Amino acid sequence: MATNINLETGGSVWKMHVKPGDSVEEGQELFIMEVMKMEVPYEAPAAGTVNAVHIAEGDVVEEGQLAIEIA
Amino acid sequence: MTWKEETDKIHQRRELAKLQGGEKAVAAQHRKGRMTIRERINALLDKNTFDEIGMGAGDAELDEDGNLVEFSPANYVLGFGKIDGRRCIVGGEDFTLKGGSPSAAGQRKSVYTEDLAAKYRIPLIRLHEGAGGSVGGTKKASLSSPVNEPHRFRSVAEAMARVPVATGAMGAVAGMPAARLVASHFSVMSKSTAQVLIAGPAVVQRAMGEKKTKDELGGADVHTKNGTVDNASEDEADALIQIRKFLSYLPSNVWENAPVTACDDAQDRQEEALLDIVPRDRRRAFDMRKVLRWVLDQESFFEVGKGYGRSQITGLARMNGQPVGVWANDGRHLAGAMTANGAHKARRFIELCETFHLPILSFVDEPGFMIGSQAEREATIRHGANTALTAAMANVPWASVMVRRSFGVAQVAHYGHDAYVLAWPSAETGPLPVEGGVAVAFHREIAQAADPDAKRRELEEMMAAKQSPFPRAEAFSVHELIDPRETRPMLCRWIDRIQPLLPPLLGPTGFSIRP
Repeated sequence: MATNINLETGGSVWKMHVKPGDSVEEGQELFIMEVMKMEVPYEAPAAGTVNAVHIAEGDVVEEGQLAIEIA
Repeated sequence: MTWKEETDKIHQRRELAKLQGGEKAVAAQHRKGRMTIRERINALLDKNTFDEIGMGAGDAELDEDGNLVEFSPANYVLGFGKIDGRRCIVGGEDFTLKGGSPSAAGQRKSVYTEDLAAKYRIPLIRLHEGAGGSVGGTKKASLSSPVNEPHRFRSVAEAMARVPVATGAMGAVAGMPAARLVASHFSVMSKSTAQVLIAGPAVVQRAMGEKKTKDELGGADVHTKNGTVDNASEDEADALIQIRKFLSYLPSNVWENAPVTACDDAQDRQEEALLDIVPRDRRRAFDMRKVLRWVLDQESFFEVGKGYGRSQITGLARMNGQPVGVWANDGRHLAGAMTANGAHKARRFIELCETFHLPILSFVDEPGFMIGSQAEREATIRHGANTALTAAMANVPWASVMVRRSFGVAQVAHYGHDAYVLAWPSAETGPLPVEGGVAVAFHREIAQAADPDAKRRELEEMMAAKQSPFPRAEAFSVHELIDPRETRPMLCRWIDRIQPLLPPLLGPTGFSIRP
C-alpha cells in the first residue's frame, strides 16, 4: 500500500536520510525538519520502499507539502 | 359514534410526517450522499430508542369538507433517545423540507429542544443541515415574535451551562443553525458532505464580489484549522460515532460526576519506552502523543481540535476508568509555543473540564508564548493571559507532569491552582529558554569574547545545568521528581486520591463555557 508523507508544518529541511529505492522499516527516521529552532524528525509509518523524495536539505517548505512517497 | 374519524386523521398525519419532504426530496438527499434527519437520528441513537416529540406539528391544507389535502411536517425533528443506555435529547433540521429553513412550528421545536435538555438535565445533540431564515419566509407577518420573547440565545447558553451539548454539521449549515452548531461543547463536521457558512456563495458574490464555492468558503479544511468546528469526520456516520464517543466521557449534566468505567489496563503499567522518549539533545522534538498513549488508559484518548492551535494538544481520556481532560504541548508544531489560537483552544478546554468537573492532566513541554510580529498582531498575550487566569480560577483537581520545557508566562497556564506537580528528569524550567535568554542577557560578554559562538554555547550549557529539576525537588517546588516510567502508576494513585474532591464540585460552575 502506498503511503504519502506530508509535512505537518512549514519550516526548512535539515537532514534527509533516504533516497528513492531505499527500503525502510516502520518507525525508521526518514528526514529531519527544522521548525522554530527545533529539530522535528519524521518516521516511516510503515515498512516499504521509498518511491519518491520531493524535498531536499535546505529547502524552505510549506505545511501540507508532499515530502516522501513509500510503496 | 366513536372518534374513529379523528384518530384516522391522526394516524394519517403521522404517516405523512414520516415521508418528510416527499419521495423526490428524500431521493435527492440520498443522491448527494446524505442521510435524512430521521435516518441520522436512528443511526446516532441506541436501536429503537427514539421517542419523538411533536410529530403532528406542520402545515395542513384542508379542502372545503375539512379533509386533508396536503400535510407538510414542521422541518425540525426532535425527541428523546438513548446513547449507550443513557437518555438524551436529539434534534435537527429537515433539509428535505424548505432546505431546512425554519417553518413556524419547526422554529418552535428547535428552541424547545434546548429547553427540554436543560429541564430534564440530559445531554443535547443537534444534527444540523439548514440555511436559517429566508427572505421569502418574512412575507408572512405572523412569523414575527413578540417583543417580550426570551433572548434567542438564552436557552442555548443555559443548556451549555447545564448539560453536554454535542453538534454535527451534516450538510450545508448557514446562519442561525451555524451559530447553534458552534454553541456547543463539541462540534464535528463531515468532510464529504458538510459546509459551515455565515452566508452562502450567492449572497457572498452579490455583497462582496467574491466568487467562491461552498467548500472554499466553509469546508472542513477551513473550519477545523480556524477552530470554528472541533473535529472533522470522514462522513456522516463517522460524525455520529465521534459524538457518541465524546459524550461517553461526560456526565449527563453538571449535577452528576462523569461515569467511571471498568478499566482492564493495569494501574501500575510502566512503559519502558518512556525512559527514552525525550531526546537528550535539547533541540530535538519528540512525539508527545506517544507519551499520552503510553500513560493514559489504552485506546482511551479522544483528541478534540487537532487541526487548530496545533502547538497545544487537547482531548478527553480515561485514567484507571476515570474520565479526564488531557492537555499537552506538541513540540513538533512551532516548538509547542503558545499561540493566540492555542491559548483560545486551551481556555475553552479548561472551561469544558471545569463545567463538567473532569480532572485535568497536563503534560507540559511549553517553551513560552509564540514571539514575533505575527504573534503580536494576533494579540497573543491577551489570549494567553486569559488562559492563565482561567487555569488560576479552575477548581477541578489538576495534575501537571513537567515532561520537558516549562518557560515564561505561558507555562503558568499549564498548572491549575494547587496542582499536583510531577517532574521528569528532562524537565527544564525558568523565565525563558536558555537559547534565547543567554543571547540577550550576556550579549556584551558574548560579543567581546574571542570566539563569540563558543562563548555563547559555553554560557548556554552553564545556564541549562542551572535549570535542572533536582534543586526544585529539593526545595519542594514540585511534589515529586519521578522516573518517567512511573508516570502512569503515580497518576492512577492521584486519581484514586482525588475521588472525595469531585462530589463537592457538583452543580453549575462560577463561569461556564462560551464559544
